Amino acid sequence: MATTTMAPFRCMMCGHEYQEKVVQGEDVERSCPKCRSNSIRHLKGTKK
Amino acid sequence: MTIRRKARYVDLHLCNSCGDCANVCPVTAPDEYQMGLSSRKAVYIPFPQAVPCSYILDMDTCLGNNPIACGKCADVCEKQAIDFDDADELVTREVGAIIVAIGLDVYDPTEMDEYGYTRFDDVITSMEFERLICAGGPTMGHFVRPSDQQRPKRIGFIQCVGSRNPKIGRPYCSNICCMNTIKDTLLLADHYPDTENFVFYQDIRAFGKGFEDMFQRSKEAGTRYIRGLPGDIEEDPETGALIVTVENTTSGRLERHELDMVVLSVGVVPAKDRDKIAGLLTLSKTSDGFFMETHPKLKPVDAPTRGVYFAGFCESPKDIKDSVCQAGAASSRAGALLNAGEIKIEAITSVIDPEACSMCGLCASVCPYGAITWHKKEVATVIEAACAGCGACGATCTFGAITMRHFTDDQLLGQVRAILAEQPEEKVFVFACNWCSYAGGDMAGISRIRYPSTNRVVRTMCSARVSEEMVLEAFRCGAPVVLVSGCHYADCHYIDANRQTVKRVQKLWDKLEKAGVRPERLQLEWISAAEGQKFAKVMQQMEDKRKLVTPDEIAHAREALKPKKKKARPAKKEPAAVTEATA
Repeated sequence: MATTTMAPFRCMMCGHEYQEKVVQGEDVERSCPKCRSNSIRHLKGTKK
Repeated sequence: MTIRRKARYVDLHLCNSCGDCANVCPVTAPDEYQMGLSSRKAVYIPFPQAVPCSYILDMDTCLGNNPIACGKCADVCEKQAIDFDDADELVTREVGAIIVAIGLDVYDPTEMDEYGYTRFDDVITSMEFERLICAGGPTMGHFVRPSDQQRPKRIGFIQCVGSRNPKIGRPYCSNICCMNTIKDTLLLADHYPDTENFVFYQDIRAFGKGFEDMFQRSKEAGTRYIRGLPGDIEEDPETGALIVTVENTTSGRLERHELDMVVLSVGVVPAKDRDKIAGLLTLSKTSDGFFMETHPKLKPVDAPTRGVYFAGFCESPKDIKDSVCQAGAASSRAGALLNAGEIKIEAITSVIDPEACSMCGLCASVCPYGAITWHKKEVATVIEAACAGCGACGATCTFGAITMRHFTDDQLLGQVRAILAEQPEEKVFVFACNWCSYAGGDMAGISRIRYPSTNRVVRTMCSARVSEEMVLEAFRCGAPVVLVSGCHYADCHYIDANRQTVKRVQKLWDKLEKAGVRPERLQLEWISAAEGQKFAKVMQQMEDKRKLVTPDEIAHAREALKPKKKKARPAKKEPAAVTEATA
C-alpha cells in the first residue's frame, strides 16, 4: 500500500498556505484551492 | 530483443496429447484455469483450447527432476516426449515494432472483509461463477454451490467490488462487470427459470451497442435490480443462508435478503508484471496503473516510446469488442511503421559532447523516452531515433555537455539577454512551451482577449528545457518577475517531462530565498492550448506582481544571483606512500 501523509504547501501566487495529502509515488498536478494557480511550493524541508 | 522461452519438459513435436503421463502422475495441484475449484496433475494441458495442445510439466509441483524423484510420466510415455533435462532458452529476434498486450489481473476481494469472501464458502467471485456455469468447468456445467453441492435458488450479485472505490485505491470503473452480470442473469434465467436473481448495484453502465437491450431483457426475465451496495454479509448459523442487508436507495428502505449464493462482481486490476514491461520499454502509467498512451484521442494505441503500441486491457479496462478494435489498430500502426522503409524524425534532438560529459548519468535518468544510454564510467550517448527533443536532458546537464539542436543554451540565453537589454523593469518575462502555453497565448490573441502588453515570451519545445541558469540569467538581467509555463500534466507532449520543470522550479524557489530574493518573483503555471482565458488571467496576475517589485529588489537580485567564480581545483595530492605501519 502506498504511504499517505499530509504535507504543507504554499501558493506562490496568492500566498495561501494549506495542507494536502501526498501519496508516495503519486504523480498529480497541484493547484491552489483558493486561486487555482499552479505555483505550488512544497514547504517540506524549507525554512519558513 | 531477447525472449525467454520457458522450459516445458515435454517435447512439443513428440507429444500426441494421449494423457498417459497425467494418468500416472501422483501429484495433484489446484487447477489455475478452473480458479482452484478442481485439481490438475503436475503434467497437464493448461486448458482444453490450449495451442499447441500439448502437455507441459510444472516443475514447481513435480516431485523433482534433479535427481528424478518419480519419473512415472517418462516411463509410461511411448513417444518418449518427456525431457527432464529441458531448460529455459533465450531467443534473440530483431523487431521493428512491439505490441504490448499483457492483459489484466482480477481483483482479489480478500481485503474487503465485509463481504466474507474468505469466511463463507458460498461467497464467490464472478470468475469462479463463470467456471461453475461453464460446460467445460469443474462441475461440467452443473450449477451447484461449493458448500453442499446443491443448486442455489436465490443468488445475489454485488457490483463494483474492487471498482469505483477510492477507499481501496481503485477509483476507476472496470467497464466489463455490469454487462458480465447482466449476461449471467440472462444465462441463469434461461437455464434455471426457477432461480431468483438479485443485483445490488450503484449504477448500471450499459452503454455499448445492444447492451441496453440486454439490460431490459434481464429485468423482464425477473432479475431484481436493487440500487445500493450491501454493507456486509452474514451467515445464518441454522440454515447456512447468507443474509445480505442493504439500503435500497431508490425506495429509501432497508432490505434484508436471504440468499443461497453471493457472487462478487470483481473488477480488474493492471497486470502484476506491468512494471517490468514499463521498465523495459520506458512506458509511463496513469495513476490507476494502466499504461499511458501518447494521446487519448489522436494516438490512442501508440505508446510514447516510438514503435511500441498497446492492445487491450493494459492501456485501460475495456470489453472484448474494444480490445479487438484496439488490437486491429495496433497491428495496422505497426504494419505502417514496418512498411515505411525510412522514418522521419524531428531535427530537434540532443547532441552530447563526449569531451564535456562528466559521465554522471543525470541526463539518462530524466529522459522520458529512455533515449539516452549510459553506463557507469562511460560517456552518455543519444539514440537519435528515440529522442523526441523535449530538452529535459539539456536543462539538467550542468556541465554544458548537451546541446539541443535549434534550442541551444546560447540561443536561449541570447534571447533572454536581448529581451531584457532595455527597460527590463517594465517587462514580465515568460518561458512558454511550444505545444500548450505558447498556443494558449495564441488562443488569447485570436480570441481578442485583452491582457497587459508587458509580457515577453521565449518559446521552448517543453518547459523542461528551461534550465536553472536561464531563469537566473533573467533575474540577473533585471527581470522583475519570471513565469515558467507548460502543459498540464495529462497533456505533456513529452510523456512526463514537465515533472522535471516542477522539480527545477522547486529548487529555484529555495535558491532564490537563500539568496534573499523573494521566491514569489518566480511563478509556474500550466496553460493548455485551449486556455486563452487563463493565459490572459495569468498575464494580468504577473503584471500585478511586477508592479510590486521595487528597483532595490531588482538591483539586489542582479548582485545576489551573480555566478560565483569557480575556484581553481587544488592539485591532487600524491597518494601517501604505504608504510609498514599503515599497511
